[in-house]
Amino acid sequence: MQKFFFLLAVILLVGGTVNAQKYFTRAGKVTFTSEAPVEKIEAVNQSATAILDTESSRMEFAILIKAFQFEKALMQEHFNENYMESSTYPKATFKGQIDDATAVNWGKDGSYPVTVSGDMTIHGVTQKLTAPGTITIKEGSIAAQSTFTVAVADYGIEIPSVVAENIAKEVTIAVDVQLAQLNK
Amino acid sequence: MKNIIKYGLLLAVIGAGIGVYLWNKPHENMDRAKTDVQISAGELFTAFAENEAQANEIYLDKVIAVTGKVREVSKSPEGLVKVTLDSGDEMFGVICQLDELSEHQRTEFQPGESVMLKGKCTGMLMDVVLVRCVEVK
Repeated sequence: MQKFFFLLAVILLVGGTVNAQKYFTRAGKVTFTSEAPVEKIEAVNQSATAILDTESSRMEFAILIKAFQFEKALMQEHFNENYMESSTYPKATFKGQIDDATAVNWGKDGSYPVTVSGDMTIHGVTQKLTAPGTITIKEGSIAAQSTFTVAVADYGIEIPSVVAENIAKEVTIAVDVQLAQLNK
Repeated sequence: MKNIIKYGLLLAVIGAGIGVYLWNKPHENMDRAKTDVQISAGELFTAFAENEAQANEIYLDKVIAVTGKVREVSKSPEGLVKVTLDSGDEMFGVICQLDELSEHQRTEFQPGESVMLKGKCTGMLMDVVLVRCVEVK
């Protein structure tokens, strides 16, 4: 069933064109940073999936919330149980596209600044998101980086006032993926 | 009166001690972690592929000892090792991310060899993903 949805996603991304090029990774890195007056909290997830279709400039990302590793066990527990409720909402996803499809010359090595817009779903809540990023093409592989902020309140995540000084209202998300061409 | 102050102080010290302990509580030691479920990579993958919501209820956050044949091993630039176990599915498997906080007897695995890895189940994207894995001998 999972494969069916994956193939469906690939087909939808292809949009009917025959020579479309799809790039994929299952080892993307997503870093979450909360910088509040009292403390800085950072967590890393190294198993994000990403699919990019260079023909349509569409892309999809998905991560498992429980795969974020924190330095402190207590913070990881609170993050999962109190804020993200990751047993109920195990995934976060982003589905979108590069705004200006001509911004990247997929056939030529180089580093291209882009803006990506789409739907971000976190904690079961979907919001429109636009983020700046960089696409780097080198010898047939594609790297994508982006750093943006999200307001936790936008995704229905409540921070109790007792820890308001410890957790930022806007957290920074950094995405770093190396994509390889999908042979299927 | 003296006793009240004495016990009050004692309680405050205990409370502060618990607070400090919780704050600095270490991550669970995966070598010693009790296995909740032992299952083959194929069965685990099938459980998620067939009914993800139900599999999430059963396996999320559980310490799972998963057995299977190594399909692929990768190492990130930061040194994180991932062992993908064959699930019977052509494209996707069970990815076991080796624990960065544990000492490992080895981090080299050969494609085709049978292993048992124990880790925490985080769910399924395209593959089922286990983090903080250690090898079970």
